[in-house]
Amino acid sequence: MASGAATRAAAGAAKVVKPFLSRDLDEAKRRVRELYRAWYREVPSSVAIFQLDITTRQGRDKVREMFDKNKHVTDPRVIDMLVIKGKMELEETINIWKQKTHIMRYFQETEEPRPTDFLSKFYRGHDS
Amino acid sequence: MAEYLNVVRRALGQIGGHGGLKGLLVQFFRANDVKTGALIGVDKYGNKYFEDNKHYFFGRHRWVLYTTEMNGKNTMWEVDGSMVPAEWHRWLHCMTDDPPTTHPPEPKKFLAEVHQFNVSGSAQQYVPYSTTRKKVHEWVPPKAEAQ
Amino acid sequence: MSTKVKQPSLFHWWLKLRSPLFWSRRPNSERVMLRLPTVGRALAGAAKSSLAPSNTVRTSVQAASNMVEVFVDGKPVEVEPGTTVLQACEKVGVQIPRFCYHERLSVAGNCRMCLVEIEKAPKPVAACAMPVMKGWNILTNSEKTRKAREGVMEFLLANHPLDCPICDQGGECDLQDQSMQFGSDRSRFTERKRAVEDKNIGPLIKTIMTRCIQCTRCVRFASEIAGVEDLGTTGRGNNLQIGTYVEKMFMSELSGNVIDVCPVGALTSKPYAFTARPWETRKTESIDVMDAVGSNIIVSTRGGEVMRVMPRLNEDVNEEWISDKTRFSYDGLKRQRLTQPMVKDGSGQLTATTWEDALTRVAGALQSVQGSEVAAIAGGLADAEALVSLKDLLNRLDSENLCTEEVFPMEGAGTDLRSNYLLNSRIAGIEDCDLLLLIGTNPRYEAPMFNARVRKSWLHNELQVAMVGQSVDLSYTYDHLGEETSVLKELADGTHPFCQVLSAAKRPVVVVGSSALQREDGAAILGAVSTIAQNARTSSGVEEGWKVLNVLHRVASQVAALDLGYKAGVDAIRKNPPKVLFLLGADAGCITRADLPKDSLIIYQGHHGDVGATMADIILPGAAYTEKNATYVNTEGRSQHTRVAVTAPGMAREDWKIIRAVSDLAGVALPYDTVDEVRARLEEVSPNLVRYDDIQEANYFKQANELAQAVNQDLIASPLVPPQLTVKDFYMTDSISRASQTMAKCVKAVTEGAAAVDEPSIC
Repeated sequence: MASGAATRAAAGAAKVVKPFLSRDLDEAKRRVRELYRAWYREVPSSVAIFQLDITTRQGRDKVREMFDKNKHVTDPRVIDMLVIKGKMELEETINIWKQKTHIMRYFQETEEPRPTDFLSKFYRGHDS
Repeated sequence: MAEYLNVVRRALGQIGGHGGLKGLLVQFFRANDVKTGALIGVDKYGNKYFEDNKHYFFGRHRWVLYTTEMNGKNTMWEVDGSMVPAEWHRWLHCMTDDPPTTHPPEPKKFLAEVHQFNVSGSAQQYVPYSTTRKKVHEWVPPKAEAQ
Repeated sequence: MSTKVKQPSLFHWWLKLRSPLFWSRRPNSERVMLRLPTVGRALAGAAKSSLAPSNTVRTSVQAASNMVEVFVDGKPVEVEPGTTVLQACEKVGVQIPRFCYHERLSVAGNCRMCLVEIEKAPKPVAACAMPVMKGWNILTNSEKTRKAREGVMEFLLANHPLDCPICDQGGECDLQDQSMQFGSDRSRFTERKRAVEDKNIGPLIKTIMTRCIQCTRCVRFASEIAGVEDLGTTGRGNNLQIGTYVEKMFMSELSGNVIDVCPVGALTSKPYAFTARPWETRKTESIDVMDAVGSNIIVSTRGGEVMRVMPRLNEDVNEEWISDKTRFSYDGLKRQRLTQPMVKDGSGQLTATTWEDALTRVAGALQSVQGSEVAAIAGGLADAEALVSLKDLLNRLDSENLCTEEVFPMEGAGTDLRSNYLLNSRIAGIEDCDLLLLIGTNPRYEAPMFNARVRKSWLHNELQVAMVGQSVDLSYTYDHLGEETSVLKELADGTHPFCQVLSAAKRPVVVVGSSALQREDGAAILGAVSTIAQNARTSSGVEEGWKVLNVLHRVASQVAALDLGYKAGVDAIRKNPPKVLFLLGADAGCITRADLPKDSLIIYQGHHGDVGATMADIILPGAAYTEKNATYVNTEGRSQHTRVAVTAPGMAREDWKIIRAVSDLAGVALPYDTVDEVRARLEEVSPNLVRYDDIQEANYFKQANELAQAVNQDLIASPLVPPQLTVKDFYMTDSISRASQTMAKCVKAVTEGAAAVDEPSIC
């Protein structure tokens, strides 16, 4: 009985998804655009408030880059989740809960990719 | 009128008390301040100690004019609080009212013969080192014989 | 096992011995040196028949009808007649507390901790010494039993110091555990505790004799397993003390095992004293490489440091003992280590550098020479993974000059037939043989665990041992046939008087030491030995699977290297000096700078700054056996593998990885990136290398003998002298033990007496 329900649920999941915030892709896209607009407007004041050593243009390019990174996502639920995360980031930026270093983290990759070929792994250390 | 006269008199006193205009300027740039007072004593390194209870508030009433050369180091512009030797330090910081000129300190073994600067921040500073045992002792290659 | 049960008589003898009445009639007994275990050869039969448990000596299975039925707490169990109460309980899974009883030692029965109640018996009996009778109901948890244990424990603790917090046995102490489990919560003794002076019995074992509970396990171990009558008891009753009577060193190559045997903290490890607690350490199961036996060990580590080495049970190899070199040379792993790659600068001084630099130079050197101008020598501690990758690397550079430091005669069948260079009878097989002929070897120091097995068989199985070669103390008696090679010839011809004994043997075994085969006339010796073995085999009429000819190796890497097709001995290199020489942990110094042309380049890869590193131009730091996942094959041909206990220090890397990296830069990349892929390659070359803990049969003795006959070589008259004659030759044999301070102290103590090694007297 339970397994039957599970199968049905799985089959249903493929067709109709239970909406999370947005009912369809268009609504999700609207939310993304809203968020993007909010970020776009926020950038100049952030640059000023945090005394960032970047221009507004660079900041806006970075915002666009961050949005483009998730361009391939089409599931409205995932988009909603990403939008919520973006809103949280934005809130932290606007309220200056973030500090300068947190903002600048967007601009620098701190984690080096782990080597994959034998020689680089050998040079790097014992067990990587 | 009398107050103004007083100011002028003190200004002239400052010029005279520092050995002319040049002396005043040197004093001003070295110590960022010009003060005149009674010379209480001079230590063996040449630091001069002054006091003026009348014109200055307590805490500013004793001061030192550093010597220009101490322990072989040119201290004309690089003055340091640690140039004051121990016996004058206590007078200067009002731990006592008796300057070592009138009350020489009891000789103690731990009192330095020659006062040393504080070397913190310099190359001579003390750096603590690890006292834990090394886990692995590496091989030190033998010295190659001279060819 | 004979059905005659001698146990009760011996047991009653013990009871008598313990009773104060018995001793009161003996005045002046205070200074009597009593060696407790009376199991000499004379009593060995008694020990075998009833005292020693069944697993000590292999015995045939009893007929089922002979079984005795007893009950343990009402649970019925069928046991063989002569089984002790304790063993019967063990069979049901009930652990009886004990101190003096040890599975591999004779029964003393003097601690009384194993008292159990037998239903309808008037008094509790000592379970370790009492054989079961039909229909007994053993009550292991009755009120009487518990009271008896509690009383014994109270007596034991009456004189035992309460210094567990500073005792090195704390956490692994039988007395601690059992007093928690079976003891009372208070003592009724208000008297002063006894104090005993500590003894200095050498730089390995620390004695805190006040803690001793006189279980005499150490005494029995020394005289039964180690075969040295060094330890004994003096005094009676409260004044009984364990010791050497006069201050001397406990001189045995197995002495460290008394630390494990001791149930309390009376005998502890001196190098390990106050360094770690058992619950802090992480245990890694590994393999020892100090000799060719491949003893199973546990490496205890804490915070990336090896704290101690302990034996691991393997009935086929080392039982539960290990040699002192295995146990105590671990501090050599922390000294004289190569932690950074080094190259020689313009002035000829070795200076530290980066891996990139060192590897590029090595690769450049390898590329700049023609195939046969590069050669490699593998040392005694090299693992199979490194050996196979080095061989693959040099083969890809068109060179076949791969040698091992240890010599083995290549004439005749040489190393082509595996049976020629293995200990074919296996170590455990010694227990089944009835005649052992040792040729040019001193197994006591070349392979202490093998020697312990021989002694065990000698003690319990009436094994007859004979030896050709210099007479040495083997801890058991043997017929010395002479040390000249002419004896071998006579034995082979059948003209020697010992041949009668040899031909009468039912299951003969001939063991030749690898050092005897490293002489000029090694092939002739191997030929003669092979003939002796073949003759003994035919005359004994033993079944097909029985192997007679055995070679006892001395270094851990040799069998694996020969399996992989390395040439034994560096003669080829000496005759044809290469321009680039790759030393893989070769520290025996058989090739020196003088043997090579002036402009030749020596690359040393290894873990210790020893002979090899001193003469090298480029040093590549490798990992020691506790730091890598590596395969070693012991002298029986049993492949076993070590595990990573600690990471290699500094920039050192696992050996096969270094060779793999070199191959990458030299443009001949080896096709494996992980240790599993290397092992797959090992399996391709020689499948036995990855059949872990399994011995692949080796055969073709007859063919090997025929090929050996074809060798045209005469025996040299000089006597057969094994390189390790006395105990002081035993301690420092390889780069790890040479770097060990503990081993250096042992050598000093052996030569100058235990008092010469001054220890800080702490506690």
